[in-house]
Amino acid sequence: MPQPITAEKTKCLERKCRRRSTNGKGDAPLTEGDGQNGNEIEIESVSKVFGQGATAFHALTGIDLTIRTGEFFTLLGPSGCGKTTLLRVIAGFEYPTSGHLRIKGQDVVGQAPNRRLVNTVFQNYALFPHMTVAQNIGFGLKMLGRPRAEIEATTDEMMRLVKMEAMATRKPAELSGGQQQRVALARALAPRPRVLLLDEPLSALDLKLRKEMQTELKRLQVETGITFVFVTHDQEEALTMSDRLAVMSQGRILQLGSPHEIYHAPTERFVADFIGETNFLTLKVVAVQVRGADLALPGGQSVPARIAEGVKPAAGETVSAVIRPEQARIVAADTGDLPATVEEAVFFGTDTHIHLTLTDGQPFTVRRQNSDGQADPAKGTRVGLSLTPGALQVLRG
Amino acid sequence: MKRGSHRWKWILVSPALLVLILAASGPLLIVAVYSFLSPGNMGGVAWDFSTDAWFRVFFKRDIFEPEIVTLNADHLAVFQRTIWLSLQTTVICAALGFPTAWFIATRPANRRMVWLFLITVPFWTNLLIRTFAIQEMIRNTGTLNTALLWLGVIAEPIEMMYSDFAVLLGMSYVFLPLMVLPLYAAMDKLDFRLVEAGYDLYASRMQVLRHVILPLVKPGFIAGSILVFIPSIGAYVTPRVLGGGRSMMMGNLIGLQFGQGRNWPLGSALAMVLLVIVVVALVFYLRITTRETVGRDGQS
Repeated sequence: MPQPITAEKTKCLERKCRRRSTNGKGDAPLTEGDGQNGNEIEIESVSKVFGQGATAFHALTGIDLTIRTGEFFTLLGPSGCGKTTLLRVIAGFEYPTSGHLRIKGQDVVGQAPNRRLVNTVFQNYALFPHMTVAQNIGFGLKMLGRPRAEIEATTDEMMRLVKMEAMATRKPAELSGGQQQRVALARALAPRPRVLLLDEPLSALDLKLRKEMQTELKRLQVETGITFVFVTHDQEEALTMSDRLAVMSQGRILQLGSPHEIYHAPTERFVADFIGETNFLTLKVVAVQVRGADLALPGGQSVPARIAEGVKPAAGETVSAVIRPEQARIVAADTGDLPATVEEAVFFGTDTHIHLTLTDGQPFTVRRQNSDGQADPAKGTRVGLSLTPGALQVLRG
Repeated sequence: MKRGSHRWKWILVSPALLVLILAASGPLLIVAVYSFLSPGNMGGVAWDFSTDAWFRVFFKRDIFEPEIVTLNADHLAVFQRTIWLSLQTTVICAALGFPTAWFIATRPANRRMVWLFLITVPFWTNLLIRTFAIQEMIRNTGTLNTALLWLGVIAEPIEMMYSDFAVLLGMSYVFLPLMVLPLYAAMDKLDFRLVEAGYDLYASRMQVLRHVILPLVKPGFIAGSILVFIPSIGAYVTPRVLGGGRSMMMGNLIGLQFGQGRNWPLGSALAMVLLVIVVVALVFYLRITTRETVGRDGQS
């Protein structure tokens, strides 16, 4: 679970940052940080409001977030949730209305994008159309005033890294989407930024290319050791690539954690619904335990469930709980944890979704892998359901 | 292809061809022919072949000893002034037009139309009236001098009329919208994410301007320069009203030959020289644009 920034820790960081900036190197781009604290980016109660008065739009509300050095961090959410705005705040294209933003301990609010040690891969790549591939990649180093030999060497290295050596003299318009994508990556990586920001970089590619680039991106991140902040609305992309991810909705971060935590232990209804398929159940609390609660299943026994942080249900209360379709198995009638009736079986190739109804009328879906070629149960069949122990999760609210 | 359809094509384009031949090539041909004729007594031309007009464009004979031939310094001075003033006008329009167009292009979409509308408003007023308005501002007892005298900034009025400065001021004012509009069109197409990408890659404001914005709006500069330079070369009203006889341009020199000068062949020959200057300038511009187009082939 992420560690929230406490007030004491923040103060300590501020002091450190002041001391560091007095040595004059504080704002020099691309210098190696001290690497002592593992936090690359610290975002503290950042809000962003566009417009004023009645037409004001709250794009970000009270964002608290710490991104660790060298991790692949993903901001996941539907369009309009504020994830791109947050990325633009980190890049420096937008200044937060309130709150603090530190990159490597240094407060960068009010600092122009060309002074920040972060580079961006833009959604539509934003390659300079009047420059060749090599000129595009070398642009950042040229603007930093690096010697020509270094620019050429780094440009060559970057082109090798993204496998574009053969295209050095082409213009962006002569490249395919995937090639443009790789040039955009190389251009952003060439100045060796501390942090690489990626704004839905794969959304314009077709499925096959997208899969390829996912692997490619992950490889580059591991090879370079640069902190990646990746914005996407694609939950699968987020789950497969990230070390940690934050799920956003309506300008807020709803949940932060590893892909595993987000998938298996969603704390909010929105998170559970947005990522993967989920069974939502309304269940009664039988007893409260130290780290969980026992919930009564309709027509069945009571089973232990995990509880989202900060939720304190009382015995006898009704709560919302979730369980993934693959965490329930169909067993013989009158066995397992609870009874159910088959409504429909939908064949998906690798697996079959079996839609059922519980005894109190709530719908329930089970995903069964088609590894053993068993027959689909007929509509109206009474079956038993066996839940994976500990898979049931009580949601907030 | 069927032969019939080929014939139809010619029949269909013939009205356009006719207009082109009669309206564009016809007068031009007449001017070219006139330049090789002799002047008539009361204006017009006498149908005697003569290269005298062409000779007099560049040279002149001594009045008393016709064997002595010298370069026509008066004409050459007018050519030189015409080209120089037109170049200066183009540069001034570009320097003023760029920030103006940038300002409009960076306004919210709904307000851009208002600004563009305001830019085009002067076009609705007669050119002569606008030129007289400039005259009213800069003449010795005009608005500007009166105000400066009243404020005590100057003791005597500054003489601005009938000078290259006055002509330059007038032409820059008149032709500025012709630079702003194509520049705006180029900026409107500019992807502002490229500007952000520039900042993101450590470019300062000046570097973004130089390496990203200027190369991308170059087509606008080229189009604007053509639109400003060519009418400047042939300007008549503005140098006539603001330059008078002291700061004459080619348009006025030609006008003079067809009026008081009563030398239509010389006027025609001068007009042909003007045409050659415009064509040379166009070819020069087209070279630049063609190179540009080849370089950015397939883009957009």
